[in-house]
Amino acid sequence: MKSLNGFKPLAMILPGLLLAMFIIGYPVLDLANTSLQEVSRFGQLRGFTGFDNFAEVFSDPLFWGSLKRTAIWTVTVVLGTLVISLPIAIILNDDFYGRGVARVIIMLPWAISLTMTAVVWRWALNGRAGLLNATLMDMGIMTEPIEWLAEAQLAFTVEMMIGILVSIPFTTTIFLGGLSSLPQDSYEASMVDGATRWDQFRYITLPLMKPFINIAIVLNVIYVFNSLPIIWVMTEGGPANGTDILVTYLYKLAFRFGQLGKASAISLIMFGVLLLFTVIYVVLVMRDEKDTAAGEDE
Amino acid sequence: MASVKIRNVEKNYGSLRVIHGVSIDVEDHEFVVLVGPSGCGKSTLLRMIAGLETISGGDIMIGDKVVNDIAPRDRDIAMVFQNYALYPHMSIFDNMGFSLKLRKRPRSEIEEKVMEAADILNLKPYLERSPGQLSGGQRQRVAMGRALVRDARVFLFDEPLSNLDAKLRVVMRTEIKALHQRLQTTSVYVTHDQIEAMTMADRIVVMNAGRVEQVGAPLELYDSPANLFVAGFLGSPSMNFIKGRFRRAGDGAHVLCDDGTVLPVPATSGATDDQQVVAGIRPEHLRLAGEGAGVAATVDVVEPTGANIELFVELAGERVCAVFRERHPFRPGEKIALGWELDKIHLFDASSGHRI
Amino acid sequence: MPSKLKKSLIYWAFLSPLVVVILFPFAVMLVTAVRPRDELFVYPPRWGFSEFRWDNFAEMWVKTNFGEALFNSLYVSVLSTVLALVLSIPAAYALSRYPFPGKGAYRTFLLMTQMMSPIVLVLGLFRLMVALGMVGNLNSLVLTYAAFNMAFTIWMLQSYFSTIPRDLEEAAWIDGASHLNSLIRIFLPLAVPAMAVTAIFSFINGWNEFVLALTMIRSSDDFTLPVQIYSQVAGRYQVEWHHVMAGTVLATVPVAIVFSWLQKYLIRGMALGAVK
Ligand SMILES: Nc1ncnc2c1ncn2[C@@H]1O[C@H](COP(=O)(O)OP(=O)(O)OP(=O)(O)O)[C@@H](O)[C@H]1O
Ligand SMILES: [Mg+2]
Repeated sequence: MKSLNGFKPLAMILPGLLLAMFIIGYPVLDLANTSLQEVSRFGQLRGFTGFDNFAEVFSDPLFWGSLKRTAIWTVTVVLGTLVISLPIAIILNDDFYGRGVARVIIMLPWAISLTMTAVVWRWALNGRAGLLNATLMDMGIMTEPIEWLAEAQLAFTVEMMIGILVSIPFTTTIFLGGLSSLPQDSYEASMVDGATRWDQFRYITLPLMKPFINIAIVLNVIYVFNSLPIIWVMTEGGPANGTDILVTYLYKLAFRFGQLGKASAISLIMFGVLLLFTVIYVVLVMRDEKDTAAGEDE
Repeated sequence: MASVKIRNVEKNYGSLRVIHGVSIDVEDHEFVVLVGPSGCGKSTLLRMIAGLETISGGDIMIGDKVVNDIAPRDRDIAMVFQNYALYPHMSIFDNMGFSLKLRKRPRSEIEEKVMEAADILNLKPYLERSPGQLSGGQRQRVAMGRALVRDARVFLFDEPLSNLDAKLRVVMRTEIKALHQRLQTTSVYVTHDQIEAMTMADRIVVMNAGRVEQVGAPLELYDSPANLFVAGFLGSPSMNFIKGRFRRAGDGAHVLCDDGTVLPVPATSGATDDQQVVAGIRPEHLRLAGEGAGVAATVDVVEPTGANIELFVELAGERVCAVFRERHPFRPGEKIALGWELDKIHLFDASSGHRI
Repeated sequence: MPSKLKKSLIYWAFLSPLVVVILFPFAVMLVTAVRPRDELFVYPPRWGFSEFRWDNFAEMWVKTNFGEALFNSLYVSVLSTVLALVLSIPAAYALSRYPFPGKGAYRTFLLMTQMMSPIVLVLGLFRLMVALGMVGNLNSLVLTYAAFNMAFTIWMLQSYFSTIPRDLEEAAWIDGASHLNSLIRIFLPLAVPAMAVTAIFSFINGWNEFVLALTMIRSSDDFTLPVQIYSQVAGRYQVEWHHVMAGTVLATVPVAIVFSWLQKYLIRGMALGAVK
């Protein structure tokens, strides 16, 4: 029995661990290898070239453009999401008529694949017959239909707004989980102490929600940074690479242009960035767990 | 039925040792209570007997067999958990019959045994309900019933009454004791409530910080505690302690406190002259002394409990509690004199805490 | 209570812009799906249309090979969920019940894989499937979805498992049950709701996945729904929008209904520590 105790749990985690290591570990190693080689269109490795692929990436203006847009895309979408989600979570955590319906509606975008959402929006934004144009013209806001996706700057802005829209449910869910774990009695105590609702938000909700806000930031950064379908389906990074971000550019290089060495290099660069985000996340989670563990001991 | 022998048992969690070489012998048919403050290792020890924790050192024997490496299900024990651990997805009947079902006993036997236990515990009306539909006291009885149907060799209880309200606890205490008198099953009962320990046990094991402080019959421990810890732990309100130096004078003896108060103690004590000691006296052994006799004290707080009056006084610079059956009209600030019979005094060595 | 009514009105007023924007694409989808084809491109664009053309759905079903795509999506989502659960349940159980060497490292590994997105590794994954000879094979998606889902399912399951009191199993051991027996008779029945919820979320993940399906599957007979619908839009001169919208309605509405019904469990799971 004694000797089994250490072995049994390991046997239980092992099968899953092996699959994950194989499916996730192999590609990482393969990409690392490929990025240092010259690669044919068809994936044959033609020998080591050192860091040539990386050099090529760094001298490519499209890469820098995509990188810049990735930063804009990530920061805008994440910030927009947070700013909208926190008040929404606070509302949804409170008791009001129709809260159940409101929760369902706010969570709805999460249920639908980004691909479908993007397809529908692509049609809704159609420059000739799109129903967004119809709505705005019916309301008298404009007289002529607008080509929403024909010009890069406008298209990118619209895509970021849709990005925010689809990130709200997940973020709100994290915040709701956090809010429901806040101690009710500190609110009651503060009411006795004469705090206004704003005081409560400022001095109780916000500080106690800080770990959840941190985690929401990191997770959203990771998800948004990696998000391909919205831009891919709506504009494919066009027109003229004007809405390309790193993931769309990477996908084009790999599966359109067959520049596998360069694509591997970009993959690795992104992997590094992601790893950095992940380490931040792990540190945040661990710190949080240590806090709660310490709290439970008391 | 069987005896349980615990020999030099140790338990480590990593480098942390929580049980330091404990030895206890539980006789056949005996009801032994493990008592001690929270975190002292009672549950750990009980769970090692049950086989739910590995044993880091020493041996545990049930009957005359070492069970260290035997799985819980093969130890032939029954256990009542603090939170009852009733299977929420099974009816009360199935909860009680589960162990027999696992042993592939015929349906008729299961029914008979469960009915018998349900009868003893007044659970018959509830057999078809699920645990969620019972009150706390009823759940507690189901947990007992689950142990009863087993005919196990040893019963283990881990604070089975701590989730009940005060009244119900007293009722169940008596029921468990009556049950044991009837069934005579060897039992090990864990509690941190010293009254439970005193009232239920054939023998009490007082534990502290992973060690056994003293083992003995309840009144034996109450009347001659082996050390300061046991003396202070058993009894409510607890024993009064006053520090001082032991002095012999003529054919008498006393303890001289720092503030000059003189406490008469028996001359037969084995203490040596000038030894630093702690004198202990139980609240119910203090009485009002007549004019000119006794030790001076000042009344601090008066707490009538109905049956008794608990009086807190200042005596030799310490807060001392005295219990009176008679309803004296004490007032705070009043000067009184307290006395005691010499043989009711316990003397402990101040540095080791051992009884002298 | 009138103050609750007032509060509700203020809240709804605050939420309404977002509600409108969320519901807008659904309205677009529905209105387009039942529109006659020649009313798609009218000038000026308008919401109204002359008749409900339910035939659009039947036409779309045939023209876009919807049935096959539906089957492919089901196949991939169900199998990847089953695989992920079969591997996750013991792992989650071990995490919630046993101390073991390397537990901390394992949890960190899980967090890391939870963060890894298929898109960053997509080229490597493609080359892996080439090496395995599985490109164009739906099972390549089953494997990858299961692997990428497992971190999530393990977290979710173990946070639920930890809420099932350990002493129930201990009581069963003392009652004479073997470990396996107590697992089957006591633990698993209590864990069924948690496993069902986790399975449904894993299913939805597979159902909605796009990038890998787009990359691994070559023949349109093997397309999953998102790719099939995407292929009706991408790189075409003439897009049959009424068919596309009919397809999205069929592909999304059932999932959205199930999801709406389950979302409170997800919130609870996260509160329990799936995210923490
Ligand atoms: N898994 C563990 N890892 C480390 N230390 C533990 C573990 N389980 C228990 N301990 C420690 O062992 C000691 C004894 O615990 P135990 O549960 O036996 O106490 P107890 O006497 O039953 O207390 P209580 O009356 O509060 O139930 C405690 O100090 C506890 O902190
Ligand atoms: Mg305990």
